[in-house]
Amino acid sequence: MTLFGSLGDGYVRRALLEVVLLGVLCGAVGVQVVLRRLAFLTTALTHATFPGVVLASLLGIGLVLGAGLFGVLVVAVVAMLTGTRGAGRGRETSSVTAVVLAGGFALGLALMSTRDGFSRDLTAFLVGSVLTVSPSDIVATAVTTVCVLGLLAGLRKELLLGAFDPGALAAAGYPVRALDLVLLLMIEATVVTSLPAVGTIMAVALIVGPAATARLWCSGAGTMTAVAMVIGVLSGVVGLAVSEQWNVAAGGAIVLTVAAFFTVSLVARSLPRGESAMRPAAQEKSVGRPTYS
Amino acid sequence: MPPPVHDAAIVFTHASVAYDRFPAVEQVNGTVRPGEIVALVGPNGAGKSSLIKAVLGLVPVVAGSIVVLGRPPAQARRQVAYVPQADTLDPNFPISVAQVVLMGRYRRIGWLRPPGRADRAAAAAALAAVGLEHRARDRFGLLSGGQRQRVLLARAIASEPAVLVLDEPFNGVDVVSQEALLGAVRELTARGAAVIISTHDLTLAQSACDRVCLLNRRQFAFGPPADVLTPPLLRQAYGGAALELADHGLILAR
Repeated sequence: MTLFGSLGDGYVRRALLEVVLLGVLCGAVGVQVVLRRLAFLTTALTHATFPGVVLASLLGIGLVLGAGLFGVLVVAVVAMLTGTRGAGRGRETSSVTAVVLAGGFALGLALMSTRDGFSRDLTAFLVGSVLTVSPSDIVATAVTTVCVLGLLAGLRKELLLGAFDPGALAAAGYPVRALDLVLLLMIEATVVTSLPAVGTIMAVALIVGPAATARLWCSGAGTMTAVAMVIGVLSGVVGLAVSEQWNVAAGGAIVLTVAAFFTVSLVARSLPRGESAMRPAAQEKSVGRPTYS
Repeated sequence: MPPPVHDAAIVFTHASVAYDRFPAVEQVNGTVRPGEIVALVGPNGAGKSSLIKAVLGLVPVVAGSIVVLGRPPAQARRQVAYVPQADTLDPNFPISVAQVVLMGRYRRIGWLRPPGRADRAAAAAALAAVGLEHRARDRFGLLSGGQRQRVLLARAIASEPAVLVLDEPFNGVDVVSQEALLGAVRELTARGAAVIISTHDLTLAQSACDRVCLLNRRQFAFGPPADVLTPPLLRQAYGGAALELADHGLILAR
């Protein structure tokens, strides 16, 4: 059945609303993630949040609430170990992040195994199920979207400076740790909000994918944010349509759409022409900043 | 309200600076006056960057003191502008030259508020001061290394600082950009700003700076270039890296 045809069903309308909200939220937050090269850290956040989902389910409280509370804990640990750009002193950030990622995931699995006849399907946590999102999930997504967009807009000067030149941010006397923490909380809020729809494993694709695609086309952070949000929404809607049309898993279809946008853009942008011909020279001088920090 | 006038912009008093818990440079003594350019000179690892970070209040002063504009460094930051090395920044970052310069206004604009017309005018004037007003709309990363350095100086100028700190601004910079950088820095000092420049280039320290601070883990001399950049003092500070020439003093291996 086509997406348009199935709009009569309440659950499809809810799914559509959820993916549109998530597309906006993830697209906007993803720009900060991509500009600061925090994709790997975000992956770790998604996996480290997984035990929170399991705990919430075991305790019978809301998944988003449980994941959210646990997420704040995870953010505190990550911020203490690394900061969003790594503290050094023998703690190489990507290694710490990798351990947090695997450790969090393992804790989630261990918690699941403590209970026999665990009723929830593991795949629901791992890949989400957008067609079963509840009205309360949508409300949570809407509230998070409004709050995060408000923060991104209010702090856009400081976030831009922090992403471009963190040294100058500190030298100008800004509260760098506090700003990093706010950003980390925004990313975690986005991760938690997108879990019911796309799950632990694929949330990062929805955050990083549209922004990374926009990054290929845009020469300013403002346009990049707008384009990332549009791609995020389009990916959600197209993925949902594909899912309804050919009866494939919605989460998978959405992430595949994200991947398709990115791949097509990558190929299109690496075709030699105009400005891109000058690019290799600029890239050669690229500094040794870590890809994941 | 005009900014308070200080006799000394920066005062180092037996200052020792630690970086990552290890002492980086010790026993720095001297005064940087308004309107003056002071060069920090010394071999790699001498502690130039650490001393700069201490002036910015980013690393602790573990003994003695550093006073910036009459206050501890961390409390003077709003009147201090820092120019990092351009090649420490990502050349692929999606940002225009004008946006980079406008960043110099952020502290004055304050939280939450967008830049106003006066801020854009100040940024445009700062970009003109380094001779790059025609590149305002270009992407920052498309400029040459020297031009990017000039843009970062323009960002500092836009913040109307009382103290300007430049970290190795002449590394890999062509002559045109070097002249533009120096010209813009002199315009600032003419308006009473105090300037600290760390550099490897002794010729430049000699010709462009009012005084020189010679460092290698500690201070060897602080004074007019003619008194500091002498073969005996340089030999002391650079140790084995100094190679003697028959008639022209010595050259320095990095």
